[in-house]
Amino acid sequence: MAPALTYSEEELVVLLKQQSQDAFNYLYKNYAGVLYGVIRKVVTDEQTAQDVLQDVFVKVWNNIGQYSTEKGRIYTWMINIARNAAIDKLRSKGEIMKSKIQTGEDAVYNVQKGMKTEQATDTIGLKEAVAALKPEHQTIVSLAYFKGFTMDEIARTLEIPLGTVKTRMRAAMQSLREYYNSN
Amino acid sequence: MNIKEYIESGILEAYVLGALTEGERAAVEADMVMYPELAQEIAATEAAMQSFAEANAEEPPAHMQQQIWNAIQQQSSPQSVPEPQPAQEAKPQPQPKVVEFAPPAAPARPSWQRAAVWAAVAVSVLTNFMLLSQRNKTKDEIAQMTSQMDSLKASQQQVLAEYKKGRDMLVDTSMKTVVMRSMQPGKEMTGMMFWSKVTGESYLTIHAMPMPEKGKQYQLWLIQDGKPVSMGVIDNNLVANAGMMYKIPMQVKGGQAFAISLEKEGGNPTPTEVMAVGAI
Repeated sequence: MAPALTYSEEELVVLLKQQSQDAFNYLYKNYAGVLYGVIRKVVTDEQTAQDVLQDVFVKVWNNIGQYSTEKGRIYTWMINIARNAAIDKLRSKGEIMKSKIQTGEDAVYNVQKGMKTEQATDTIGLKEAVAALKPEHQTIVSLAYFKGFTMDEIARTLEIPLGTVKTRMRAAMQSLREYYNSN
Repeated sequence: MNIKEYIESGILEAYVLGALTEGERAAVEADMVMYPELAQEIAATEAAMQSFAEANAEEPPAHMQQQIWNAIQQQSSPQSVPEPQPAQEAKPQPQPKVVEFAPPAAPARPSWQRAAVWAAVAVSVLTNFMLLSQRNKTKDEIAQMTSQMDSLKASQQQVLAEYKKGRDMLVDTSMKTVVMRSMQPGKEMTGMMFWSKVTGESYLTIHAMPMPEKGKQYQLWLIQDGKPVSMGVIDNNLVANAGMMYKIPMQVKGGQAFAISLEKEGGNPTPTEVMAVGAI
């Protein structure tokens, strides 16, 4: 049955604090897809992604008492929980460390090459927004948002100055904002 | 501090993308409190990332909803559970790593309720076990079909249970029926609420309401101590399917009246144009 009632952010918080199964069903129906989408961008393995999704819901459920609207939108709060949990999982599997630890020129070259071809076009997988972001912007957004790299790590990995990383982040997000405002 | 330069530096975007170190993060958060322009810029960027996340949504497999609810239920149960999850097809789930906060203090459940929960768990374990052994006998393809059938059956049973509940509810004497009548002269509009004071459960049915014009939606309210409390924005589907009963996710402890108002799409914090009201 499609949800027939929708709730604002504040109402959703009240609803979740009731901790009923109805509240859970509402939360799941409305947010599981978005949260799972974010997780799958970080960890591609389906089974692992499902494990993370479960952890995320449990975490949201248990921590709703600590959430307050002053901390920003609950939507952003949940997306960040999903993103962080997924990145933690990725790190615990050691995958991400590989690309971070490598310092030899070949390694960096390979990482760079990988980004430029495969990652630049595919990793971020912006289905429709792909037209809105230049490839070099996609790479930066992807490394930061989906792989958990800091600006410094991005600069080193891509061998570009830190200032360029910041400029590109700004430009990338400006394009995204424009894209979603006009659509 | 030059706010314009600060905003254009890219550091706020890095904040939203999670690319700052702990120290940098804390600094941005402190600045946000001082300069609302920064908070605004961050909110706008976050909204873009939110749209981006929505555009890339991906539905998890159907069994996840029940599995996650079970996991949530289990963590608040005592530890002497005899491993009540052997039959899920998924690999064993790692215990959720949520240790920093204690689970919310739930009121102690009456023992019959506990017994009911354990009975349900036992039945579920048994059912799962039976399904599993059954499935093992068949080939992979058949097993897959069986599991599809299972989930179909489960959802059918859920619908049937909902339906039965609806009927039980109508004969339940503790269930109050509140008819909301039109407040707009000349316009026939009715909605109905069924509300149980005992359980706090409530159900909404739209009987006859005109489809709101584009950009508008109806919103349901509970009038509590003279103040309207939003119960949510009503999907137009419910208006189109008059007579369909919908369970309100929000619990209702008490109040004086239910009301439906016409609002802009997505609702408002307080009602603007009240269409129908029914006293409890």
